[in-house]
Amino acid sequence: MAAPGQLMFARGLKPSTRLLLWVILSVGLGFADVRWGALEPVRSGFSSLMQPLQRAVLVPFDVAGEISGFLMRHRELQQQRDKLLDERVQLNRVLYATRDAQRANTELLALLKLNANQDRTAVAAHILYQGQDWFSRRMTIDRGANSGIHPGAPVVDAQGLIGQVTRVYPSSSEVTLVTHANQLTPVMVERTGQRALAAGGSEADQLELRFVPAHTDIKPGDVLLTSGIDKIYPAGLPVARVLRVIPSQANPYARVECAPLGGVNRARALLVLTTKGANP
Amino acid sequence: MIRSGDVRQESSASWTWIAVTLLIAVALKQIPWSGWGLILRPDFLLIAVLFWSLHRPSRAGMALGFAMGLVSDFQDGVVFGQYAAAYVMGVFAMRYFRLRFLQFDAAQQAAQVLPILLLVQLVVLIGGWLSTRPPLGVNILLPALSGALLWYWIALATQTMHGKKAMRQ
Repeated sequence: MAAPGQLMFARGLKPSTRLLLWVILSVGLGFADVRWGALEPVRSGFSSLMQPLQRAVLVPFDVAGEISGFLMRHRELQQQRDKLLDERVQLNRVLYATRDAQRANTELLALLKLNANQDRTAVAAHILYQGQDWFSRRMTIDRGANSGIHPGAPVVDAQGLIGQVTRVYPSSSEVTLVTHANQLTPVMVERTGQRALAAGGSEADQLELRFVPAHTDIKPGDVLLTSGIDKIYPAGLPVARVLRVIPSQANPYARVECAPLGGVNRARALLVLTTKGANP
Repeated sequence: MIRSGDVRQESSASWTWIAVTLLIAVALKQIPWSGWGLILRPDFLLIAVLFWSLHRPSRAGMALGFAMGLVSDFQDGVVFGQYAAAYVMGVFAMRYFRLRFLQFDAAQQAAQVLPILLLVQLVVLIGGWLSTRPPLGVNILLPALSGALLWYWIALATQTMHGKKAMRQ
């Protein structure tokens, strides 16, 4: 079979040679990107180029949202309002208790001469889109450096931790999800205070605890919170719920599978917790 | 082998057409897909690139595949070059089977494009895996290389033996 078209020969190089050259170029690019981070400016360029398109694509969805919001039934709105008012009363109670605890905490920390947590502010953001790649559990949100977001900032939704900002462009940023295999999150078990490291699990959309000794007191249903010992995540953000604990015959660590509490694949509206005067 | 419609005159408008379809493909990938939609979502950009490399091979070649691969790399936030290499290989495979493709009807083409798409996914898979877990990567690919080397010696030996047989006859 006369495989490649005759057109290719008119250009000089054999197709296989050209394939090889392009692949070498790709590998070189990848190497430069991974080892030296040399291609971040290119990423920024892409980001500014794509931004109008990103916004344009979202317009129909926003319009649809507006319309469905407008067409919502009056009764439904009333029900929602009543529910929200109830929730607000509950939350206010918690808020006062928290303020009280915070005051006591600051005083105690001052007594012990420990540094209190840095001031945090929350930036509300929306998901622009999510990638499909198996290795990068990432998504892109619509706020960036212009809104004060810095690399390393934790990202949460109403239910819990979603991930961490890893790349910041002027008006969008990339979030690495807690379910990414290389994304480590220092956590503690709410019930016992036992500390551990959570990372993306072998199954998609799951977390695993790394290096948990087999005899540790941990059981399905336990809630994991951020422990705050890395000074990146504030302590006490809900991260995941333990699904299964499988003791291993082969090694001294138990296999602990957990499901993230934050809507890692569902949430549309997020909060980015930024630190004033942050160092990434 | 070459059909008459294959050597058609390519109009100057075809560049605009190519650009428009590629833009639509990029935009389709930008939609906030989620859940099963995200899992099942075809790679629109790859499909567009393969389509043009089939129907406008003089315009849409490996360079276009490479450039669109970079766009995909950016969109998925992965290492630059991962999708680029995969798309270039996809275009190469598409061009290799181009004349065959053009003789098939739609269903046959769909069946033939499946292995090409699988090849692209495989290259993306290997690329992503090498870039996130490099220490493991190279070692696991070594058997393939040593296997190829072994094949060379076996093939050489076989040919020499057959050559001898041929000489004896």
